Amino acid sequence: VTKVAYYKGCLASLSAKELDISTKALAPKLGLDLVELESVTCCGAGDIHEAEPDYYLHLNARILAYAEATGTETLMTICNVCTLNLRQANWQLKNDDTLRERVNTNLEAVGVPPYAGKVEVKHLLWLIAEGEGFELLKGVAHKGLKGLKIAPFYGCQILRPSKLLGFEDPDKPSSLERIIEACGGVPIDYPAKIKCCGFPIIQAREDVALAELIQPIEQAMEAGADAMVTPCPLCHLSLDAWQSKLEKSTGRTLGMPILHLSQLIGVAAGFSDSELKFKRHVVPVTAITDKLSV
Amino acid sequence: MKMALKIWRFEPKTGEKVLRDYEVDAPEWATLLDVLDIVKDQVDGSLAYRKSCRMMICGSCGMRMDGAAVLACKTRMYEIAEAGHVPVISAMGNLPVVKDLVVDMTPFWEKMHAVQPYLQPGYADPGETEHVIAPQQMEPIHKEALCINCGCCVSECNSMEADPEFLGPAALAKGMRFVGDPRDGQKIERLESYSQEHGIWDCTRCYFCTQRCPKGVDPRDAIAKLGAEAMKHGIDRDMGAKHAKWFVTSSKTTGWLRETELVPKTQGIARSIKEIPFAMQLLKKGKVPPPVPPHVAKDVDQARALYDLVKQQGRDGAAGIVQGEKALERIEFVEEVERREQAE
Repeated sequence: VTKVAYYKGCLASLSAKELDISTKALAPKLGLDLVELESVTCCGAGDIHEAEPDYYLHLNARILAYAEATGTETLMTICNVCTLNLRQANWQLKNDDTLRERVNTNLEAVGVPPYAGKVEVKHLLWLIAEGEGFELLKGVAHKGLKGLKIAPFYGCQILRPSKLLGFEDPDKPSSLERIIEACGGVPIDYPAKIKCCGFPIIQAREDVALAELIQPIEQAMEAGADAMVTPCPLCHLSLDAWQSKLEKSTGRTLGMPILHLSQLIGVAAGFSDSELKFKRHVVPVTAITDKLSV
Repeated sequence: MKMALKIWRFEPKTGEKVLRDYEVDAPEWATLLDVLDIVKDQVDGSLAYRKSCRMMICGSCGMRMDGAAVLACKTRMYEIAEAGHVPVISAMGNLPVVKDLVVDMTPFWEKMHAVQPYLQPGYADPGETEHVIAPQQMEPIHKEALCINCGCCVSECNSMEADPEFLGPAALAKGMRFVGDPRDGQKIERLESYSQEHGIWDCTRCYFCTQRCPKGVDPRDAIAKLGAEAMKHGIDRDMGAKHAKWFVTSSKTTGWLRETELVPKTQGIARSIKEIPFAMQLLKKGKVPPPVPPHVAKDVDQARALYDLVKQQGRDGAAGIVQGEKALERIEFVEEVERREQAE
């Protein structure tokens, strides 16, 4: 069992509670002992990085410092945007002693423990796809996906920029595919799986965002997917909740079920309703739960 | 050694688009551009592509290999051929194809012109002597100045694909190159102009530009710097800027994003009212978390205190997009020079 600090981020605390719930149900089965961080805030989602960049750095240094204080070396995230924001700050703090000293002086001035630069930020996807988690996965996913066709959707900020993320080839990632296969599903391939869902600008430029969002859903449908799976709650929100707006603007029926990574494995592992919380999805997941008679 | 390629050929006269196979003998040190030259010399003289310097500085030979924009002259073929892979070569994306691998760069240059990619002198006439700039003063825009206008970033830009009018990563990075230039006198006007529709706030943060840039310009970082500079100077009327500011407010008050209030804070009340039917649909699924009572993070007062503290330290704007403390030292040096110049 590996002890990891767990940073759930904003959405899993709010509109995507089902992600937090299914992650907590799944983690122990994959050998992860989660230590949930409490004295932490939003990572800034790229927005604070742009509005108040120095504050962004300090907020993320504070999260890293509290993760380090738990005595673990791994800070686990369940969101692409949190992953990039934390890794970007961590890269700066680890590679620049003078900068870290200044930030630490500020952290200590407000009562936060200083950050020594010993933490590695890893997404749940990476922890499952490498090492012990992947070994345990096949046993955990005993009920299996019975050959369901699943479209992996990576999103952006778990792949690019690869100099800050670097877990896998940003153009030919395979971690989600391997997990889908290990769960007894059939991963389907389509070009937009590494493209943007439009979420960062869905409030400010909805038309542009929707023109991005249609691509992966349309391509996954054409490739015959029963459902899509994503490691990011922001991608999930746009793919799931904004799908109705796409239906309205295109006049087409889409009805593509969207699963969080932890839910996909949860289904294969035979999790209960209370652990999966599919009722919180906008697009019904019945098309796949019926097939699996969950 | 044998090197094989598949090339998407396009013949404008007939509109024919076809994927053709090629295999040639090429030296082990050959780049993609060398292999294309051999194909053109020995196999098919009608193959069209652009090239000039062959050393990664003219920016002519941008094209796609297996769907990803590259400079042909920077891409070595040995390992690809050794692995037995046959890459698919095609023209860049987001620009109209003229023939085979040649794209029409007109939209690219129009956007470049739109950001006024030349100095708008704002310094006092030095008279008989030249205007001296210390290397450190140019350091903050070092990355942006590396751009060779190849278009690899534009080719892959997800926002531009959805909104062809988006200024895009190359033009905006060029904009930052002048916003950050100590000699330029139109900084505020530039920031106002770049903050309009199809500007800074159109960027969807897909990071394809940064991933693909063959010169390390990091256009997404440049766009973030423009956003930070605009907001530092109070140019924050765009919905994108309001969206960003709400995250700051949220982090100081509850620690977590105040998600439900994000819509009216970004779009304004009038526009948000139109979203009520959509919101009701989400509400039924628990996707509209009630703002009251707020979901408050433990020890959020520390975040608030940190905000106050860093604001006093004054690293607002692009200076705060930290490129490492050494870069900050240089920025401080620049400010010192500017103060000295003003005093003189």
